[in-house]
Amino acid sequence: MSTSVQNAPGSGTAAAPGKPIGELIFALLIVSLGVVGFVAGAGIQTPPSASDIGPRAFPFAVSAMLVVVGAGLVLQVLRGRRGAADEGEDVDLDATTDWLTVVKLAGFVLLHAFLIVPLGWPIAAAILFFGAAWSLGARPWWRNLVIAIVLALVLQFVFGGLLGVSLPPGFLEGLGVFGG
Amino acid sequence: MFSVDNFFLLMEGFATAMQPMYLLYALGGVLVGTAVGVLPGIGPAMTVALLMPITYSLEPTAAIIVFAGIYYGGMYGGSTTSILLNTPGESASIVTALEGNKMAKAGRGAAALATAAVGSFVAGTIATVLLSFVAPYVAAFAVQIGPVEYVALMVVAFLTVGALLGSSVLRGLASLGLGLFIALVGFDSLTAQQRYTFGSPFLADGIDVVLVAVALFAVGEALYVGSRLRHGPIKVIPVTGGWTSWLRKDDLRRSWRPWLRGTFIGFPVGTIPAGGADVATFLSYASERKLAKGENKKQFGKGAIEGVAGPEAANNAAAAGVLVPLLTLGIPTTATAAMMLVAFQRYQIPVGPQLFESNSALVWALIASLYVGNLMLLVLNLPLVGIWVKILQIPRPYLYAGILVFAVLGAFSVNFTPIDVIILLIVGILGFFMRRFGYPIAPMVVGLILGPIFESQLRRSLAISQGDPVALVQSPVAATIYVVLIVIFALSMFLKRRQRQFESMVAENADAPDVVRASAAEPETAVVPTAPRTPDSREDTDR
Repeated sequence: MSTSVQNAPGSGTAAAPGKPIGELIFALLIVSLGVVGFVAGAGIQTPPSASDIGPRAFPFAVSAMLVVVGAGLVLQVLRGRRGAADEGEDVDLDATTDWLTVVKLAGFVLLHAFLIVPLGWPIAAAILFFGAAWSLGARPWWRNLVIAIVLALVLQFVFGGLLGVSLPPGFLEGLGVFGG
Repeated sequence: MFSVDNFFLLMEGFATAMQPMYLLYALGGVLVGTAVGVLPGIGPAMTVALLMPITYSLEPTAAIIVFAGIYYGGMYGGSTTSILLNTPGESASIVTALEGNKMAKAGRGAAALATAAVGSFVAGTIATVLLSFVAPYVAAFAVQIGPVEYVALMVVAFLTVGALLGSSVLRGLASLGLGLFIALVGFDSLTAQQRYTFGSPFLADGIDVVLVAVALFAVGEALYVGSRLRHGPIKVIPVTGGWTSWLRKDDLRRSWRPWLRGTFIGFPVGTIPAGGADVATFLSYASERKLAKGENKKQFGKGAIEGVAGPEAANNAAAAGVLVPLLTLGIPTTATAAMMLVAFQRYQIPVGPQLFESNSALVWALIASLYVGNLMLLVLNLPLVGIWVKILQIPRPYLYAGILVFAVLGAFSVNFTPIDVIILLIVGILGFFMRRFGYPIAPMVVGLILGPIFESQLRRSLAISQGDPVALVQSPVAATIYVVLIVIFALSMFLKRRQRQFESMVAENADAPDVVRASAAEPETAVVPTAPRTPDSREDTDR
């Protein structure tokens, strides 16, 4: 994936623009996950009756793999060899990272998690769709709202009502077609 | 020789798959599959993951038929996108995108779509026939192997998927390791000891595979695309003329050989874990380019129909080939196959060498539904292409907002607790950073799914040998598998290197029409690329 039409010579770079600090931190996190694996793995109880290698061996092997591979990646990044950011039809690799949008999207997902129980699934889902579409730049707001409400009701009807998935219907409680 | 028994079993499979209810499920599957194949940002793996928690009420056969339809449909839909959308897509379809997109721009989009659809049908059907022939024999061999050989096969799957499904070997292996690690969280299945739960009751049952898959595929993708959304209008190249006039006699004459060659390249490549459809399409494209003569050769890089017909056929044949190790050994070699494996597990269908014996009715119904689905897809794709073009134009904010809503729906439906939505978000953020820093997602999903099976087989092997690790390589079959692994590895590394050089050369040529003519005049340099490595691709020397 490193070479493609987009990052053929003379058109942009293969890696994420900017300094590789984030990439370095990510590689270091992989190493530290391996270390945590070793430390926490030592606490796994091994029953004396175990006839095989026991429940500790495989976790240790995976942790070792993470430490070695992670260390290799740290070295690579330090030596300037960086990963090729994922491509896609809707991805503009030449654009700078829009962190605000990422934070907004993540925030709306988090909000959704806290709204499902008090407000019911349809309202929580409509708020998520409305917020995500707005974060991604859809205008005007009233059209986003209409689509959000229709989508949430359709999904609640199809999955909650027809397929019997137990989505809390919120204010639709009592209307049988929306399940519950 | 195709035994009479298997033939009858296949006919019984057809009898099941042709029931009106199952035909409807297959139709629904291929419709959804084509739609998600057409839509950027959604793949068949993600769709199967999303649908799994919300199709619990279906019976196993119906669910498996739906997922098989999605699997094949996704392959068809992808070609429409790469031919008609004016932006470069994923590298798996880069060669098709190149020739097909050039054809579309030259007003030959209809022919490109038609050769892709008919080629996919021809390849899909032949490959499904091959699958029906080959799979029972592999399965008969597979039931004889013990845990030691099984461990060897899974090592092959891990290493090839980890090291080959991406541009960087180390990043692939890191992704695999993350998947294996997450799979460890929870109770150990053999000793019931808690591992990596840190005393949390939420982690004691482990982190649900579907939850992680949905998070990585859907939430990770939405966050990542959101961070770099391509703005401006979506440029879809219009298709003109009725679909009956799409494939002219001349097009057909130039297409049928590439279809067949693509099929017989794609199927074997799909069955071995060598990097999936990516390698198959590349091999087909390179061979078509080499075999073309005269006027046709000059069109390569500018819209040669052979360059669409061959790779598209290879892509579909490889998709059928992937089902051979999945159904006979229980070993997935792509992310979508991994999700199919989870689907089997969810419905309490034991995957592995016993599948053909213990659930033969279901397996043959699945294979029969692949034949049916293929035919449906041909009918759906030719006349209905206008609908898919409309789907392609969905405004991106709505598309990705919708993906997020489906993701939270799927996550919440796993256990009906909002905590799963928060775990979804956390793993989704991990998926975002993995995409950003070039870590492939598929190895993580494969590690997550195969990890527990691998560990139990490994421990069984070592219990039999009383802890002696030498036993793992002593069996002749296992030793052979490891030798084959080394061969596959060497071959794949070589092919990947070739492919990268080839793609960069093709991309350069596409930008400069004069060079195409120059390289077409010298056939040797056209196929054995000597083009210098592009200075921007820093990943090439990864080991």
